Amino acid sequence: MGLVSLRRSAGCVLAGLLYLFAASGVIADTKPLKLNTTADHSKFKELQREFQSGPEVTKACLSCHTEAAGQVHRTKHWKWEFLNPASGQKLGKKEVLNNFCISIASNYSACTSCHVGYGWKDASFDFTSEENVDCLACHDTTGIYKKPPGLAGHPQLKDVENPPGSGKITKGIDIAKVAQKVGKSSRDNCGSCHFYGGGGDGVKHGDLDSSLAAPDKDLDVHMDATGLDFTCATCHKTSSHDVAGSRYTPTAMDKGGAHMRGKEDKSNPATCVSCHDTAPHKQDARLNTHTGKIACQTCHIPEFARGGVPTKMSWDWSKAGERDAEGKQIVRKDAKGHIIYESRKGAFELGENVKPEYFWFNGDVNYTLATDKVDKTDGVTRINWLGGSPDDGKSMIWPVKVFRGSQPYDPVNKTLVKPHTAGNDDTGYWKNLVWDKAIEVGMKDAGLPFSGKVDFVKTEMFWPITHMVAPKEKALACTECHSKSGRLAGITGIYIPGRDANSLVDTFGWGIALFSLVGSVGHGLMRIASRRKHEEKENG
Amino acid sequence: MVERVYIFKGFERFWHWSQAALIMFMMLTGFEIHGSYALFGFEKAVGYHSIAAWTLIGLWIFAIFWHLTTGEWRHYIPTMEKVLVVAQYYSSGIFRHEPHPFKPSQLNKHNPLQRLTYLGVLLFVSPLIWITGWLYLFYGNWTSWGLANLKLEWVATGHTIGAFLMLAFFVSHLYLVTTGHTVTAHIKAMITGWEEVESSDAANTQAGTEKSLSNQPWSPS
Amino acid sequence: MKPAKILGPTLLLALLSVSLSASAYDADWKRGRIYYRSVCTSCHVALPVGQINPSSKTMAEWSGYLQADKHAKGKDSVKQYVSKSYRASIKSANKAAEKFADVPDQELLDDVKAFLVKGAKDGEAPASCS
Repeated sequence: MGLVSLRRSAGCVLAGLLYLFAASGVIADTKPLKLNTTADHSKFKELQREFQSGPEVTKACLSCHTEAAGQVHRTKHWKWEFLNPASGQKLGKKEVLNNFCISIASNYSACTSCHVGYGWKDASFDFTSEENVDCLACHDTTGIYKKPPGLAGHPQLKDVENPPGSGKITKGIDIAKVAQKVGKSSRDNCGSCHFYGGGGDGVKHGDLDSSLAAPDKDLDVHMDATGLDFTCATCHKTSSHDVAGSRYTPTAMDKGGAHMRGKEDKSNPATCVSCHDTAPHKQDARLNTHTGKIACQTCHIPEFARGGVPTKMSWDWSKAGERDAEGKQIVRKDAKGHIIYESRKGAFELGENVKPEYFWFNGDVNYTLATDKVDKTDGVTRINWLGGSPDDGKSMIWPVKVFRGSQPYDPVNKTLVKPHTAGNDDTGYWKNLVWDKAIEVGMKDAGLPFSGKVDFVKTEMFWPITHMVAPKEKALACTECHSKSGRLAGITGIYIPGRDANSLVDTFGWGIALFSLVGSVGHGLMRIASRRKHEEKENG
Repeated sequence: MVERVYIFKGFERFWHWSQAALIMFMMLTGFEIHGSYALFGFEKAVGYHSIAAWTLIGLWIFAIFWHLTTGEWRHYIPTMEKVLVVAQYYSSGIFRHEPHPFKPSQLNKHNPLQRLTYLGVLLFVSPLIWITGWLYLFYGNWTSWGLANLKLEWVATGHTIGAFLMLAFFVSHLYLVTTGHTVTAHIKAMITGWEEVESSDAANTQAGTEKSLSNQPWSPS
Repeated sequence: MKPAKILGPTLLLALLSVSLSASAYDADWKRGRIYYRSVCTSCHVALPVGQINPSSKTMAEWSGYLQADKHAKGKDSVKQYVSKSYRASIKSANKAAEKFADVPDQELLDDVKAFLVKGAKDGEAPASCS
């Protein structure tokens, strides 16, 4: 007995020793080594301190990354300005207006919460300032870095009672922690602005919303978090802080072919073709005959807003301004709890799993600016419109989210207007619900004339759809287009088998077939009749 | 009196029936692709139509080879002789139970009206269908073939016209099958090879056969 | 003999826990997010409890829940559903389990915890389960 237990305990000790060696070996191997970066920023002295503001963090960043701010200064993300080389139009967020929240003029402090900078609170913002570049917006990995509207792009670092006197405390963020954990841009970084365009999750684009932060394969075959796990930058290949692929100069038809390492490629790296080339269907080569006229997105994005987040489909500003019996602003929600009316904004229609509309698109996007004449009698004003025709050799059929709305305009000067909406002051529309004051302030800020008269005009915007690429099994079936009233029913200038037929040929064709049939039947009947007569005769 | 004449050889019958099946199937799938109805679904219809087309091409290669090496192509040489007589038969004689003015034989299978019809199909309908069908199949290669200016609409419309002509031919053909000595005489001939030919007496038939022999345009004598 | 028997494993456990805390694993909330949404949520859609949003509990509640390690009111443990063996058992049907098949149990648990604490009602970024 004693011997047995001695042996047992000896074995136990031996096993324990072995385990210890093994464990220490494990410890040596798992010395936390980061393989996704060469620099653990939490180890940098420059970042191991308290920071009082965003620009202080930026200064610390720039002490090593000396060229970064200068690189950012050259980009649309910083300038919010873009000169369209084809049309000569000066575009960019700073210039254009839309039919969502309309325009940033006089609303800077709210809108610039999505600017990659700090402190753009009015038109006097210094675009040459290096310390006002916001590194963290795009390089935060903690997911806690936020820039609330109203702070002109600054994060909230201190605890604040919001609204004042409510007792509700919004906590400030630990910016030092954010700074120490910076890394490569992820879907969450880009998404913190691009998922929320138009003032909320999924509002603007329809193919970009928070469901893409960690999507499954059905929602996006490339960004599938448990599969290919593309970040935005996998396609929007970024160089010197300049992100490729822009809505101001989209590539509608990519003749550049697939990009290859080592080869100098000047074409847009964010297109499907830049990886898949122009004949990507290996199993069914017949599908490749479509690639000359039909954008990949048309078949491979059967619907947008598929991730459970609805997108706005229309926005009627003319309905804004209602008040309840107590004179307070009203919010109405639909059965699912989504807002469909707000006194300060008007009436909305939302859509989930929306089938796009389809248009010929050659990559040209033109805008109706606040300086352009608008005529209400034209019916609908297109704030932007897509160039394209079946015959220009540059156009493809693209899926598009058409965003329809009604928004204020100046019926005397005949222009769209830029109202002052956001802001806790006497003129901001969202607080006061008075149009003429709000527009006067906004137009003044933009340096544009305003007659004082306000009317509403119907508007449309065109948003080509390119994200939320479905797995190939879920691409459009043939009959979605190859049928009489399919998705491409409205597309002209192209012959689609199954949809189109020459009616003259059809009439003539069925005519002669019928003629043969009637002739045959008639001839046959005459034969039968004559046989009867013949037989009667023979039989006597 | 009924006489049996061996007219359609084994390969010819095989060719006829497999071609008939393929053409019927291609009309079925083709008009679905055209949008006339839904049966297999567009995708499958296109797939089947293409497979049938390639099969038919294969069949034709054999058939052309066979026609050329056996001299059978001569059955399609047009002749105007007796055209009016045959036409008159179908428009009136047939109702009076007159005998068919044409007696088919191994050396002269087709009556002059058939010869003209088949030649028409061969020279006009088939090339129209084949050329447009071929272009349709290779739509993706047009640019590399230097046909960038060709419009799918023209090709598709041409193909459709061909299909309608084929349909009209098919309907008439189906009916004319029944116009033999008996309703099933012609179809039996195409199945067994043996045609039943009506004749008043044996000598007459013999003479008829001989006569038709000497009528051959390519008669060696 | 008896004390020696107990001493061995106890010592080992103590050493092990020291070594674990010494390695100071830096939890990856994004990996936790994928695991939580793809594995936890995939069952909790169907089961009677329904979906559980991270934002439905406070940070303290989540920490306590994971500390107590009682899943389904104590019928089994939470850790079990993050373990390698569990992942191996569902990996043919679950892409997240397949993708993270070789991640050490404790790391993955830390990741999930990081996501839950961050996404809690009073967390830094309240999150939903999908």
